[in-house]
Amino acid sequence: MRFQDAAPDARAVVYAGIQADPLVAHVASLLAEGTPAERWLARAVMNGERTDPETWRRIFPVLFGPSTDPALSDHAARVLDASLGVASRGEAARSQYRGAIVEELTARLLAGRATAVRRERRVLFDGVRAEIHPYDVTVESGDKPEVYDCKWGARGISADVLNQLDDARRHAADEDVELAAAIVVFDARRSCELRLARSTAEHGGTGLVALEELDALAEKRP
Amino acid sequence: MPQLSRRCIRYAWPVSHQSRPTSPQPPDVIERAAAAYRALADLAETIEDEWQYVTDLVDAYLPGIRGLAERDVELELDVVVAVDEAIAEIASITDPHKAIDWLSTFPHVVAVAVGGDVDRPSEVSEPEDAAPPEPEPDEDSPFRILLRGDR
Repeated sequence: MRFQDAAPDARAVVYAGIQADPLVAHVASLLAEGTPAERWLARAVMNGERTDPETWRRIFPVLFGPSTDPALSDHAARVLDASLGVASRGEAARSQYRGAIVEELTARLLAGRATAVRRERRVLFDGVRAEIHPYDVTVESGDKPEVYDCKWGARGISADVLNQLDDARRHAADEDVELAAAIVVFDARRSCELRLARSTAEHGGTGLVALEELDALAEKRP
Repeated sequence: MPQLSRRCIRYAWPVSHQSRPTSPQPPDVIERAAAAYRALADLAETIEDEWQYVTDLVDAYLPGIRGLAERDVELELDVVVAVDEAIAEIASITDPHKAIDWLSTFPHVVAVAVGGDVDRPSEVSEPEDAAPPEPEPDEDSPFRILLRGDR
């Protein structure tokens, strides 16, 4: 098996502009070092209707209350400000930003333990027709590669995504390569499990990394 | 009995029985949260293709939200305000697609605010008519620890 850059189509060209927006890197950087409560704050704000920061400060007293560690409050304020920056982009753009942020966050966390972290890559196998859609994030180590698909919400877990990940893992196994295939979802594990429980797509060998356990990406191969 | 002692007896009971001015009782605000969550689900259910997922989310999280009121913990005023603000947020949603996103988000926002847990294992139940279980990954699978959900 080998990795290859995805051929850029029109959608990819437009999306690349969003991926390159400094706001995406800024939010991902903050979330990479954030606490679970800050990640819930970010998810709520970027899903939210209201853009008044004081409203969100009141909803998260654990982050902005008088007894909160000032360092945590300061960091949470930056998370809030950056998340509101995404929310203010409007409904159409915000969903693309959110997806790009999860991808960037995943890549940054993986970079904590791996060097060959790449984006938007396809995987080619001998004698197998290439998948059309690239993987959002890959770790291209020689003996134990990894592929990740990233989703903002559990609702994004679809049969297509699960089948592609499972196919890649099986084809790699045919070539005696231990490919780790996982889906990263910036949503509650329980919601993801409910989604998976109804799926008829094969996913028994596919990893799930949900919002509560994102830091595991930086610690060990899933 | 001296006048002072009678005065103490007369005023001790009302003072000791006054409700604390900090907040309403926890079940009140938690029950409001549960009612708001149910209303959000009604909106989300209008997406017919997602009816099952919406039903699964409600079955999973509504008991978890109500369970937050069963703890023997008095909520501070800022926590009650937080939950009421979160309720106001989901009450402002008119897009059913966004409502589905919030069916997953709202329980955890409330849990973070009150310092509780809506994901307690005892409340996790597989849907009765869920897809049949898939084969367990190999014992030495690198995914096993994540798939078990016991991190």
